Amino acid sequence: MSEAARRSRRIAWVVLGLVVLGTLAGSLWPSGETESVTVRTRRLASQLRCVDCEGLSVADSSTASAHDQRRDIGQRIRDGQSDAHILQVYVDRFGESTLLNPAGRGVGLIVWGLPIAVLILGIVGLGFALRRWQREPRLIPTEADVALVERARAEPRDG
Amino acid sequence: MKHPFRWVALAVGVAVLLFSIVLAVNVSTDPRAELNTSRLLGKPAPEVALARLDGTPVTSADLVGKTVIVNFWNSWCVPCDDELPVLRRWYGAHRTDPDVVMLGIPRDDTPENIRDAAATDVVTWTVANNRGARDATLSFATRGQPETFAIAPDGTIVASFLGPVSTAVLDKMLRIGRRSL
Amino acid sequence: MRATLGVLGIAIGVGGSAIGIALLLRGVLQGNVAALRNGRTCVFVVLAGAVLSVIAMEWALITHDFTIKYVAENNARATPLLFTITGLWAALEGSILLWALFLAGYLAFVAHRFRRRIEDPMVGWALIVGLGVALFFFVFMAVAANPFTLMPGLAPLDGRGPNPLLQNHPLMAFHPPMLYLGYVGFTVPFSFAVAALITGRFGEAWLEDTRRTTLIAWGFLTLGIVLGAWWSYEVLGWGGYWGWDPVENASLLPWLTATAFIHSVMVQERRGMLRVWNLSLVIATFALTILGTFLTRSGVITSVHAFSLSTIGPWLLSFLLVIMIGGVALIAWRADRLHAPGRIDSPISREAAVLGNNLLFAGLAFVVLLGTVFPLLAEAIRGSTLSVGEPYFNRMGAPLGLLLLFLMAIAPALPWRATSGEVLQNRLLGPASVGTAFMVLTLVAWTRDWTTVVGFGLAAFALSAIARETFVAVRSRRRADRCGWLRAYARTIGGNPRRYGGLVVHSGVVAIAVALCAGGSFGTKQEVRLAKGGRAAVGGYEVQYVGSHINRGDQKNSVSVDVRVSRDGEVLGTYAPAISTFRNANTGIGTPSVRTGLLEDVYLTLIRSPDDRGRVTVGVSIQSMTLWIWVGGILMGLGTIVALVPRVKRRIEIRGVPAPGDEPEPEPVEIVGAPA
Repeated sequence: MSEAARRSRRIAWVVLGLVVLGTLAGSLWPSGETESVTVRTRRLASQLRCVDCEGLSVADSSTASAHDQRRDIGQRIRDGQSDAHILQVYVDRFGESTLLNPAGRGVGLIVWGLPIAVLILGIVGLGFALRRWQREPRLIPTEADVALVERARAEPRDG
Repeated sequence: MKHPFRWVALAVGVAVLLFSIVLAVNVSTDPRAELNTSRLLGKPAPEVALARLDGTPVTSADLVGKTVIVNFWNSWCVPCDDELPVLRRWYGAHRTDPDVVMLGIPRDDTPENIRDAAATDVVTWTVANNRGARDATLSFATRGQPETFAIAPDGTIVASFLGPVSTAVLDKMLRIGRRSL
Repeated sequence: MRATLGVLGIAIGVGGSAIGIALLLRGVLQGNVAALRNGRTCVFVVLAGAVLSVIAMEWALITHDFTIKYVAENNARATPLLFTITGLWAALEGSILLWALFLAGYLAFVAHRFRRRIEDPMVGWALIVGLGVALFFFVFMAVAANPFTLMPGLAPLDGRGPNPLLQNHPLMAFHPPMLYLGYVGFTVPFSFAVAALITGRFGEAWLEDTRRTTLIAWGFLTLGIVLGAWWSYEVLGWGGYWGWDPVENASLLPWLTATAFIHSVMVQERRGMLRVWNLSLVIATFALTILGTFLTRSGVITSVHAFSLSTIGPWLLSFLLVIMIGGVALIAWRADRLHAPGRIDSPISREAAVLGNNLLFAGLAFVVLLGTVFPLLAEAIRGSTLSVGEPYFNRMGAPLGLLLLFLMAIAPALPWRATSGEVLQNRLLGPASVGTAFMVLTLVAWTRDWTTVVGFGLAAFALSAIARETFVAVRSRRRADRCGWLRAYARTIGGNPRRYGGLVVHSGVVAIAVALCAGGSFGTKQEVRLAKGGRAAVGGYEVQYVGSHINRGDQKNSVSVDVRVSRDGEVLGTYAPAISTFRNANTGIGTPSVRTGLLEDVYLTLIRSPDDRGRVTVGVSIQSMTLWIWVGGILMGLGTIVALVPRVKRRIEIRGVPAPGDEPEPEPVEIVGAPA
């Protein structure tokens, strides 16, 4: 490959990277437009557990109580109440187990924090292992190793 | 114990044991037990604006100074049918008591069903399934049917019961309500 | 009579496994070949016992023998034949019986396949472990969950019939057996893993011995999960296919660890590394299948699927404990001999990508496990419970899933051992451009939701990388063999079915990922109340209520309403969502009606049947790209089948001296070198 081709390929990658970053920024940038009542009701309702059906959110359930709760949430939004306030009203009524998203404090910290901690630990561990393998010289098989491989190969096996 | 795998294995073993203990403890408890107590106990009862089937209004103001038994029910629910004779008997015994009010609020039903059920079964304590009933269902934070609450004369919720009540439970609710006077 | 036969079958199962274990132990420990042979025969006796019990149960179900409690509770005279047969897995006891049958079947398969190697202690120990598991399930059935318990007193005239949700759709006939074939299949790799630990031969032999069975079990589990999603979409009527319900999570957990294993196994086969990790994954997968059964069947967690039967809890919990503690102890015991000699040469290699994949899958499994059992932990810690639901799993799972998609795009292009960044840049420039273009397109044309923007981009990246890998290989095969494209394609796949089957599975995963992203950010949902002839517009479609029917039957009464769906004035068809009332339940069960489309489904549910003014309430939900979940599932199944096909051995080899059984085929030279 020529030097020029190599350079143009590198430029192509840089451009791709920039476009990806730009798109990501574009999608994460706050849009400015206000959320409609319907959308906001749905978002809040999907964080609340439907009380008389198991495993569904208020947004997904078609029971009468879920219907009433959606109406109530919509009314509260129109009354100008904040998201946190509306969720708190439901916690006061039904207890903390009504939130499908456990609160990120107290015991709830475990369920959010532990997986992240474990994952970070895993990434760090993997990074260390890779670095160690890079530094260590390549292992040369001893005669015993070679004999072991030969024996293993000679073993009968069912394909 | 010098190999690192053994330490990891030990840690995993301990975690597994703890986890099993938690599971074992949970085997013997009913997962629904906690759901059976209402969060509204001890709090002021929500405002209500209901209407009896004949059209007369029932509001919070009418209930002041009385012990109120509020029963949420549906015409289609089998446990509600099971508790109906209990309610009917208990209501018969207390309907003349001026200090006791009993309200039946439809939780998830059609107005027609409620009217039919009230007509055939003489569920005279029940109220119409209107907007007020829907609001009460929500503001009492009901979680199923039947569910029964007791409101003391001072307006606080003093007892709640999820599932079909017995006469003993209703009597106890009334006692608690009167005691807090 | 039928009950007696059934109990006899269970007794044969208990006896067969106990005697088999004793004989095999004697054979393995004393080198007694005759004992080993007889022990092997016991496996078939166990299978015969399981078959006998299942026949007895099916016979009892079909003849409506209500003297048996299980039949009386899960069958009625009016139950249609299909749901009478599927009654075998309608409740706990029958499901365990089905489990035992599949387990005995898998063990018999192992006993048959290794008939010439019965003197090999590895096979002996594997059969002992497998029979041990079978013994547990048969004793469990005999003592705690006996499906043939008789009705106390007189037999009822009619039975209660299965749970309405289980007799409302024919998919119920396939979903649970597929799932169980998956769950139970992992007993085989588990048995061999334990045998490897006991015999101390934890090289690569046990992987080779169980590779196919693991893949078969994985394929069944995948199909079972997808069918379950489909069932929930077609039956439950909330418009979703996955609700992060504990039972769903219980099936996902072993799938996640098994998927990690299927990938990491390749590293051990080639490099002899990750021995402890692979053994742990196999043991964890098996333990998770038992944990799932425990969580969902013992009533510790409330769920739509869970039965409350707390007497079985201690049994399953003890068994789980034996497996987990036993597994950990065995690994700890062998720790000093398990250390692998290999190493990974470069972070830019297939091995490193597989390690990343395993980290992510293990992370996902951890998230799902923690989220599922967290309500129990919270209750133990502070005495009151918490809920962990869909928003949690979505928020934690989405980044991991997206990272997996990314790895899926780059890993097939990575060679083993090491490569230069240069090669990688060359191979991935095309696919990455396609992916980026899709990202931009998604943002500009469809949605601002970042997970969907990234998800669509990565999906396009992965799919084009798969296409590129396949295309390059086929092209070089075509040049080398001087044949047509089709033949070259067949030969490429035949030359390395494992790799190309894997790529087909990956394309199925891409389809599902796209559908999940689309389902999360597009579509609308609305409830409309319509008088006869009334219309409503929802999400670009128009629905019109044209009429209703009432069907009365022995099994159920149903009210269905005809809804005409049209778009831009063009009628797409008339659909009939219904509410059915079954004899044995007091609430109506909705039956949704779905207009399936390539890009959008119109999902109709009947919420309120006609009231006294003749008005109905209909739920109209526009679902985006749901079809692609099922397409993805089919692709994953097909890919698994391809990967199971034995490799076609080719004579032309330019390489040195490949050993006869040398598994990995070198990739075509053209792939390794940079294109001119």
